[in-house]
Amino acid sequence: MDIDLAAPGLERIVGTNPPLDQIAHGLFFGEGPVWDRRKKRFLWVDIIGDTIWEWAPGVGQKALVHPSSHANGLTFDREGRLNVAGWSQRTIWRIEHDGSFTTIAARYDGKKFNSPNDIVVRSDGSVYWTDSAGGLVIPGMVGEDMQRQLDIQAVFRLTPQGEVKLVVEDTVYPNGLCFSPDETILYVNDTRLGLIRAFDITADGSVSNGRAFHKLTGTEPGVADGMKCDQEGNVYCTGPGGIHVIDPGGKLLGRLRVPGHCTNLAWGDDDWRSLYFTTYHGVHRTRLNIPGVPVG
Amino acid sequence: MAWQFERVAGPFEGSAGGVVRDGDAVIFSTIDEGKLRRFDPASGALTEVRRYTNRVNGLARGPGGELYGAQEGGRRLVEFTPDGRVMPVDALLDGKYHNQPSDLVVDRAHRIYFTDPRHAVIPFGPAIFPFLDHCSVLRLERNDRRAWVASRVTYDTVSPRTVLLAPDEAALYVADGEPKEGEARELRAYPLRPDGTVGHPAVLQTFGTDHRGPQRGIEGMCLDADGDIVAVGGWRRSGPGPLVYVIAPTGAVIESHPFPGDLPNKCAFGGAGLDTLFVTTGGGELFAARTTRRGHS
Repeated sequence: MDIDLAAPGLERIVGTNPPLDQIAHGLFFGEGPVWDRRKKRFLWVDIIGDTIWEWAPGVGQKALVHPSSHANGLTFDREGRLNVAGWSQRTIWRIEHDGSFTTIAARYDGKKFNSPNDIVVRSDGSVYWTDSAGGLVIPGMVGEDMQRQLDIQAVFRLTPQGEVKLVVEDTVYPNGLCFSPDETILYVNDTRLGLIRAFDITADGSVSNGRAFHKLTGTEPGVADGMKCDQEGNVYCTGPGGIHVIDPGGKLLGRLRVPGHCTNLAWGDDDWRSLYFTTYHGVHRTRLNIPGVPVG
Repeated sequence: MAWQFERVAGPFEGSAGGVVRDGDAVIFSTIDEGKLRRFDPASGALTEVRRYTNRVNGLARGPGGELYGAQEGGRRLVEFTPDGRVMPVDALLDGKYHNQPSDLVVDRAHRIYFTDPRHAVIPFGPAIFPFLDHCSVLRLERNDRRAWVASRVTYDTVSPRTVLLAPDEAALYVADGEPKEGEARELRAYPLRPDGTVGHPAVLQTFGTDHRGPQRGIEGMCLDADGDIVAVGGWRRSGPGPLVYVIAPTGAVIESHPFPGDLPNKCAFGGAGLDTLFVTTGGGELFAARTTRRGHS
């Protein structure tokens, strides 16, 4: 795949000629990529197509959940259960080991969430997610109730004790989020501002010391959306032209040029060195030299 | 006798849009603010009914009192339910997403006719679905599985603004055209067949151009008890200025009243005697005037 070099360091990550494999096509709006290390399969969603898809190397693609209530972000908890940012369902829900669905968070302060967008689970079992309001308005993505109740578009956390906490409230349109490899930093991007912010995570799971980490640049199609870290702490964020690779100090190393409008990314395969990424209409994969932070 | 309008609410940020009767009061939309407000003329009370409407413009009641809105920002119609939800009332037109509904009217069979122009403010979010290659009046009705189904009603409109049904539902009134050079602005009456399709229209009114530019046509309509059309349109920039018209079903202008605000947008009768006309404006205002007519109930 094509690479834009912006600073020394990207060559070590991407090598000389990273491959570009197409995994799926024909989607309306691909999102929510995640690798299932236990079952060695890759999952993603088609938000508008209302489906959670699975794909396994050598096996192929099939629908895992349909209809999915326009599910968006996916991740696995430490027990291997799929946790879902429910978008137009306006809840956080998960699939249990017996295949049943459980809603684990639905309201904050008595009000429905906007539309949970992307989701991560910390090693202590806390679930963090962004709650932007796009799932209440975007054609093809809305559910049965579009009445927005919250006046904020925020980042929330479900504690291991089952309590919903407000984590970051001063975001305009929070979208992607991820932890640093040691889980001491929470990165949150804001699509409207094109800005990634970093927060220190305190012992109780709340955050402090919010600061600007990196401002995305570029004029090509693409916005701050999905975001993940590799094991060296580099941050990978969708943005204009593809995936922006940013070092732990906030400096842009370069871009992985993605065919189409990139929406999210996830590492996978046994060595966590394959980078899968979704676009509006497809799923692709490349191979990188630094593994990503394992999920689940 | 000229109707004496006074501003009773606003100006709010951006345009005010649809207005609909709610008991003796009215509910009206402020499009850019994304709100519905209720104004009670008896007490003068102004209350917020809904927030985050995503640019709802036109409002209409269904036969069971349902409250529907034309959501320009979401490219759909919506229903505001009494329990506080907003439900999508949408369907694809021949497999495609339609444009940005601006006004609507519901017949006794619960079929919804709505104008589907494009708007300068594009919808929020990724542009996945292109706009239609036409701007028409469309119709939504439920099929035998209660799913909404969309059909195209007009094939000759360029930018329909507002729709209204005749009392006997044998005619569909459509105001078409924006104040642009080369774009006709007309009020038409389409014969409406029982199956919801229309015949060839009669042009009831047409709006011209002077050295100051094209006149602004009709943007909002409601019915009075005689079955005449009460319409609002015009602007200060050209033509005779902002006006409220009373137009017979034949197209004859029975009355016209100067309107003190600019860019009158939508109108509805309300008040205890149903003889007060409420008019919203592009300046985010709600005006009211006691009239010599009563609204169609």
